[in-house]
Amino acid sequence: MPKAVDGPYDIEAVRKEWIGKKTEARRGRYPVEHDPIRRYCHMVEDTNPLFLDPDFAVTTEHGGVIAPPAMVSYFSGNGAWPRVQEQNLMGDIPTRGARLINMNTDWEYLRPIHIGDRLSAQSEVVDMFEKPIRLDPKAVWIVTENRITDQNGELVAVGRNTLLTHRTPEAVAADTEGARA
Amino acid sequence: MTTISTAQRYWEDVSDGEELAGYTLDLTWTKMAEQVSGSQDFYPVHHDPGFAQEAGHADIFYNTGFTQAALARLLTDWAGPGGWVRKLSFQMRKMNMPNDHLRIKGEVTGKSEGDGSMGEVTIDLWIENDRVGITTPAEATVQLPRRGS
Repeated sequence: MPKAVDGPYDIEAVRKEWIGKKTEARRGRYPVEHDPIRRYCHMVEDTNPLFLDPDFAVTTEHGGVIAPPAMVSYFSGNGAWPRVQEQNLMGDIPTRGARLINMNTDWEYLRPIHIGDRLSAQSEVVDMFEKPIRLDPKAVWIVTENRITDQNGELVAVGRNTLLTHRTPEAVAADTEGARA
Repeated sequence: MTTISTAQRYWEDVSDGEELAGYTLDLTWTKMAEQVSGSQDFYPVHHDPGFAQEAGHADIFYNTGFTQAALARLLTDWAGPGGWVRKLSFQMRKMNMPNDHLRIKGEVTGKSEGDGSMGEVTIDLWIENDRVGITTPAEATVQLPRRGS
């Protein structure tokens, strides 16, 4: 979660400091496993046996269950609990507000991931800018690139994500009042 | 709901403009819980109406993991076990909220030879609901095997 700052905010200084910063490649907490795949499929009522049925999946060219492609992010992370102190770009980027809306996502998937694979992720800030939204005339947008590799260091997926950060209506109103005073 | 995605689709059999068999999802409060379980995204704007309203939203809205999974399911159902979703891009322009009825749909926009044994198909896909229309336009590239490959 980005770090909302009180007081003056200089987007040009933040851009200069943060664009190009990247994390080390960090390995996800657990290998690719069946049960998270089952829960993931459940939310969109996906019954695909390639993801859910080992007896079927072994008969395919994949030779076993693979994860839905978009689960590369899930399995390269630590999950929500227990919390882990780690180098986290998004946790330190200064923004005006702490509220978040994810906007655009763009992934290329290079190869399937199988049960037992160990994925790692590396993130880089590739752009930041201010652009108004209905809720906040000074919303700050952050574009990151995420590279996912497997246990052999081979690239399995590359994604770009655009996250906008904004202030609550109360904080926007307070800022506007302050500017008038 | 009980789509059995075992039939293989081949590149030669796809035509430009072809519609993908879409599907629907109802955003009940149970679905909201499934969203949090499946995505493991516990940011409260996706499950706590009071938190969402404090930020200026009418209600909670469904998260990126759910949205991406819903779009990808349309593609993997369609492609069959030997197909591969190579690229998926989407823009979350409007929100999917509690009690919305979602339709996830798509249409083939082009074919190319690709390289190796797989041909490529480009697809426009989207999520729409009754309340605000299209919420999430998306584009994808899917690789499909050729017959006899």
